[in-house]
Amino acid sequence: METVTLTIDGRPVTVDKGKTVLQAAIESGISVPYYCYHPGLGVDGSCRVCIVKIEKMPKLQTSCSTTCADGMVVTTRDEDVVKARAGIFEFLLVNHPLDCPVCDKGGECPLQDFSYAFGPAESRMDFPRRVFDGEGVKADVDFGPTLMLNRNRCILCTRCVRFMREVEGDAQIGIVDRGNGSEIATFREEGVHSLLSGNLMDVCPVGAITTRDYRFKSRPWDNPNVVDTICTRCSKGCSTSAWLKAKPEWARGSQLIRMTPRYNPAVNDYWMCDIGRFGYHWIEGEQRLRRPMVRRGSALESCAWHDVLPKVREQIQQAGTADPSSVRFLVSAHAATEELFVLRQTIDGLMGADARGSVSLTWARSEKTQPAGTRFVVPATDAPNVRGAHDLGFAVGAGHDGAPDLGALRAAVEGGRVRVLYVIDPGPDGSLGDVAWVAAARRAGTLPFLVVQGVVRHDLVEAADVVLPGATSTEKDALYTNDQGMVQPSSRAILPPGEAQEDWRILVSVARALGLSLSYDSSDAVRVALAAAMPGTAYAGAGAVTFSRPIPSRNWLQASNPSERWKWDFMFQDLPPVKGHSVQMEGVPVKDIIPLKPTQA
Amino acid sequence: MSFHPHMEYAPARFHKSERVLADDGETFAYTPERQQAFDEVVTRYPADRRKSAVLFALYLVQQQQGYVSGASMRFVASQIGCSTADVEDVATYYTMFYRHPVGTYVLNVCRTLSCALLGAERVVEQISAALGIKPGETDPSGMFTLIEVECLGACDRAPVVMVNDDWHERLAPEQVPAFLDGLRTRGAAALTGCHLHVEEK
Repeated sequence: METVTLTIDGRPVTVDKGKTVLQAAIESGISVPYYCYHPGLGVDGSCRVCIVKIEKMPKLQTSCSTTCADGMVVTTRDEDVVKARAGIFEFLLVNHPLDCPVCDKGGECPLQDFSYAFGPAESRMDFPRRVFDGEGVKADVDFGPTLMLNRNRCILCTRCVRFMREVEGDAQIGIVDRGNGSEIATFREEGVHSLLSGNLMDVCPVGAITTRDYRFKSRPWDNPNVVDTICTRCSKGCSTSAWLKAKPEWARGSQLIRMTPRYNPAVNDYWMCDIGRFGYHWIEGEQRLRRPMVRRGSALESCAWHDVLPKVREQIQQAGTADPSSVRFLVSAHAATEELFVLRQTIDGLMGADARGSVSLTWARSEKTQPAGTRFVVPATDAPNVRGAHDLGFAVGAGHDGAPDLGALRAAVEGGRVRVLYVIDPGPDGSLGDVAWVAAARRAGTLPFLVVQGVVRHDLVEAADVVLPGATSTEKDALYTNDQGMVQPSSRAILPPGEAQEDWRILVSVARALGLSLSYDSSDAVRVALAAAMPGTAYAGAGAVTFSRPIPSRNWLQASNPSERWKWDFMFQDLPPVKGHSVQMEGVPVKDIIPLKPTQA
Repeated sequence: MSFHPHMEYAPARFHKSERVLADDGETFAYTPERQQAFDEVVTRYPADRRKSAVLFALYLVQQQQGYVSGASMRFVASQIGCSTADVEDVATYYTMFYRHPVGTYVLNVCRTLSCALLGAERVVEQISAALGIKPGETDPSGMFTLIEVECLGACDRAPVVMVNDDWHERLAPEQVPAFLDGLRTRGAAALTGCHLHVEEK
């Protein structure tokens, strides 16, 4: 790659040719504020706060729209720049309501942070502020099914407009009117209807666009912990962050407070879809399975793990002795690679590798409605690990491009040839696809015994003889292989509820009960064995994969802001938070800022 | 779609903006001649820049029904293959596209410096008094709409009023009643815009 070398603030900086001055400054850790620039969107140059002085150029230039050239001499802290920049901040705040105490963005807002660092101490404006839909709570208006819009807070950076145009593919947002009356709007106030709408909250550098899901639920300083996870709602496998609330009693006992995308250029860039972002409430919902259950008459009753395992063993052994092919497994592709590996070992150990056909993989599919030109395609397969199951040697029919093939299993179940069906489903309700026929067969008696190892109390659980509570993807360290074949680690954010256990552990317990000597004591041990069993594949490194734990964000003011977090994670790591200094106040003695009274010691 | 376990979101009209939207208008389609004109003009742009014809498409709409309605913006969007928000963006940016029905004669009174110095404010007052309307409104007979605009580029003949697409120049406040009567009786022929008389001279 060709590079160019320029000087920024007296420091030589070498960057790839074609980068802008702003990108060069960010890469070399020089703080230049910006709003309209977003690394995932096209350049606009509308907010003006990234202005710098470039030698031999007649006026101050917007660094986001100036391409680096060899020998360029750039100053970002010159007196002219500081003064002009402060003037722009004064203008940006002319109509901004400054309702930070009640604004969802407060505490993780670039407008707050940069205004403190680069703006003037106070505004000289004494006109009333421009108001669009009303003051206070009236300013928050409907912006489609997922979002709320507050036009009073908007600074017209047009990131949302460009996101819809460039990434989403359907330009539903525009700037209507002109001049002082300009406002972001959808056609006739119809609102944003998009599968990617949550990203608009991420890109918005102020509190103008907020999500209904997170609205008024928490403040950034109340959810300081964050875990790197992988979204398991489809086969794309987006990198995500699970945010944990410090005081869950404020959020109805739940700890998960929001999901945001995590920058991953190979999979999802800066984005994620609304299904993964908003569809997490079930994880800590009331339908979760917390204790093992067995059927007594028409009802399911809670019991202990040590009582339920012998029952499973008894049924599997009876059926297996009579006819090995009458024990079948129906596994959701939400099962992580570790679980599939333990299951494979169990089957190989008990019945031999030829019996792997007794496992049928299943998943749900739903065609997503997206505009033709979208740059972020959400796949139709609603499960994270179809490819992983395929890699482990299980039959997955047409793979992640098609529907699961359950015809043979269904014929066997409905023909009465299956005596024990063991269902593994660590996904949300519906992740098994259409399996009403299983429940029907059990109720009709054609299927004598049904074991469900699951997480949510759904219809199949109601029909089961034994229910084993497992863990969702956010409750275990696990590997998932996405549709590109990338093996991705998803870290544990919270613990499984009640007596629920991680699924690999349940499978190990079942295998031991059946007489196999599996000696895993942690999911790490499973991964080490997996790596040893599959040398030369993408899983060869599985034993050395590291998982993150909930960690406090160091610079929570910035790092917790989903739209800006990439910057702090990848570029500004060594710098103190922006609030640590103010350009205007550098070198000013404290006593000149805070009027200190002399005291008698 | 509800994201909160205890709250229904989607069907409820939850926190709708209280602003009053312009009427959506009746279903819109170009007349055959205008459709033909549009089809001809879009061929002047590269196929991937069809959007560039949006101004011309909106002018055709305004020619046909006098103003740009929601329904017509939807029609234009479908014709040029862009989103409805894109069309609304353009239609609201340019002040010469009307978002509400207007009268037969739209009186655009210039209020910028030269005209203001020569009494444009009083011209507006006189028109308002004569028709009983405020700037931005249409009189009950549906004949006149009064709008204040910025410089019309005829400072040497101030105060100037643009009636639809033509100037009426040197309109002293006291001439307003005669000017309105002229429009009522003689129509556009009553206008004094110099560009209307170039050929005569």
